Amino acid sequence: MNNRQARIFAWGSTLVAALVFLGLTLDSHRQFPELTNAENITPQVTHGKDVWHKYNCINCHTLFGEGAYYAPDLTKITQHRGEAYLQAYMRDPSQFYDEQRHRRLMPQQNLSEEEITDLIKFLDWVANVDNQGWPPRPILVTGGVNSATGAEQAAMVLTGSTSVGVRPVSPDSDIRALGENVFRTAVPGCVACHSLAPGADGAGPSLAGVATRAELLVGASDYEGQAGDVEGYLRESIVAPSAHLSTGGMYSANGVSFMPDTYGESLSDDEIEQLVAFLATLK
Amino acid sequence: MRYKSQSVAYWYFAVAMVLFGLQLVFGLLSATKYLGPDPLLYILPFDVTKVIHTNLLIVWVLTGFMGATYWMIPDESRTELYSVKLAYIQLILWTLMGVTAVIGYLFRYGTGNKLLEQPLPHKLVIVICMLIFLYNIGMTIKRSGRFTTTEGVLVLGLVSSAVLFFPALLHYENYTVSIFYRWWTIHLWVEGVWMMIMGGFLAYLLIRLSGADREVMEKWLYVIVGLVFLAGILGTAHHYYWVGVPYYWLPIGGFFSALEPLAIVGMAMYAYGAMRRSGLAHPNVLALHWTLGSAIFTLFGAGLLGLAHTWPSINKWTHGTLITAMHGHAAFYGAYAMIVLAMISYALPSLTHGRTERGSSIGYWAFWLQLGGMFGMTLSFATAGIGQVYLERIMGMGYLDAQLKIQIHFVMLIVCGTLFSTGVGLFIYDFFRYRPRFEVSEPEVTDNEVAVGRVV
Repeated sequence: MNNRQARIFAWGSTLVAALVFLGLTLDSHRQFPELTNAENITPQVTHGKDVWHKYNCINCHTLFGEGAYYAPDLTKITQHRGEAYLQAYMRDPSQFYDEQRHRRLMPQQNLSEEEITDLIKFLDWVANVDNQGWPPRPILVTGGVNSATGAEQAAMVLTGSTSVGVRPVSPDSDIRALGENVFRTAVPGCVACHSLAPGADGAGPSLAGVATRAELLVGASDYEGQAGDVEGYLRESIVAPSAHLSTGGMYSANGVSFMPDTYGESLSDDEIEQLVAFLATLK
Repeated sequence: MRYKSQSVAYWYFAVAMVLFGLQLVFGLLSATKYLGPDPLLYILPFDVTKVIHTNLLIVWVLTGFMGATYWMIPDESRTELYSVKLAYIQLILWTLMGVTAVIGYLFRYGTGNKLLEQPLPHKLVIVICMLIFLYNIGMTIKRSGRFTTTEGVLVLGLVSSAVLFFPALLHYENYTVSIFYRWWTIHLWVEGVWMMIMGGFLAYLLIRLSGADREVMEKWLYVIVGLVFLAGILGTAHHYYWVGVPYYWLPIGGFFSALEPLAIVGMAMYAYGAMRRSGLAHPNVLALHWTLGSAIFTLFGAGLLGLAHTWPSINKWTHGTLITAMHGHAAFYGAYAMIVLAMISYALPSLTHGRTERGSSIGYWAFWLQLGGMFGMTLSFATAGIGQVYLERIMGMGYLDAQLKIQIHFVMLIVCGTLFSTGVGLFIYDFFRYRPRFEVSEPEVTDNEVAVGRVV
């Protein structure tokens, strides 16, 4: 190659690459509105985005996996945590996490109520952007595999399953096995907040011994819900989390549970029965 | 030093050194916060130390680029700079911009847009500085009438850097679209036009240090530039994974970013080849260390470690983890920090009094401590990142719990970071140890000398 050919190569490849890149940029603009649900970018969402920038969130957290790596990714956070939870969390993170235990803590940001609401609206818009199916598996803030019991972990290793705690089930499996499968795979994931290990509370209380507690509760005088037995109580807790609040300030505010109240719609009746059957085994 | 005006480079280098030192203070602070708990949670939280750490990096590296350019252009064009005064005005404006930006960050005055946190007034000052700079360089070359290829590549890189900064000045309503254009600035700087700048400096240093044939070196410089842009422009696609853009960016990103190391391999072969052919005759062996070191460390940090997580089916798992920090630290240090340190080491003996040409033993300690420290830091991020990917992304352990399990790697990070900082401290000490010198030490080039091959 002589000097002139080298020069032609340099200019030629730059020009070709730049032209292709610009062409694809134009096409991307054509597709942005649909991929990002641009019609949902309301003034509130825009304000929420400004809040995100104003408080420098991206220099600890990631969004779409971009940012700093010091705090959890928030791309799909609104699918893991209900709005009530996120509001209470933003008011004072130290109510939810212990710096001595996790060795880091989000400083209180002193956001106004309006800023909090709009920020959550923005994060919810982010969660619904079509981002090529990422993350391939939910990224949890706390809990997950370490809250499974030893036997469950062993089972995972034996079956070679790469999916956390999800054992292969078929429709004629035991109803409780089907229920555990629902527990692991429902969206938003139950495991994102609840562990099955005694005392290992996440964003929701540990469900170890929930059946025993339910039995004591439905007979008690301070029970506010409608259920008459353990199964009924569990069903009620899944479909209407705020019917009875028994666990104190970390899990609810203003008489509303932080647990999403969408399971009545997102799960089929069969799935709810399976889940109830599974939870009823947790004596 | 052949031209008196080259001495402005000294002050640019001096500012770069101070900011480099400051960058490490905030880097070390950030690293200790990974271990936690953080006693400074409400005074200097992580987001503040991190934003200052990355911004100081950009500012000092650019300061170094500017200083090195003011050093190199008179040498290449064989003339004094067009205006020394403008160069100083630019430096003062630029430094004020950098310092006030950092002070602002302490009070959360910034845009909160990753790497482009500078508030609008600061961004405008950046543009003004860039324009002064390009005008000064352009006029110098124009007046001399001598324009070499090496210089051409460097200047084109600098002009494109300024042009690519413009998308960063605009406001975007859609977060995905703002990500899309943020990478026009950041990626096309780092993996496009800055590579050109680096290539320009590398060619200059290799021609001077090894006495390699200019004709041959400049031909290969073209080939490298071609490869950088062929892969680099479409390689932007690897920043478009998972952010809400059309699907076709995935395979494009995979393919073209796999090509990106080609240019870097080319650069390393180029440096090595020049040394092999022409020997290591130049007395400034320390500058040679930095020059070859930069080419090789770039191959490791930008080439190999970039390739390690650039394929979409791998990046799907590693995206947004400490794996990115691993690649970022090694790549930036090898490609940009080291090339600036190479230019400084090359220029310093004639910019100061009483310094030996070969470099002092403190200079070599600085080199090896930095190299070892950065290698260790890269490995710390790598091991932490691998742990994080397996525990958090593949096993499904919660983020906070997974971070607790990889604490030991953060200890390693701090130890290696301390080694690295010691090396940088020695470099800075060595820099300021001798008085600056502002008089011409070598005779100006005459046409006769060019003809008999005494200068390159």
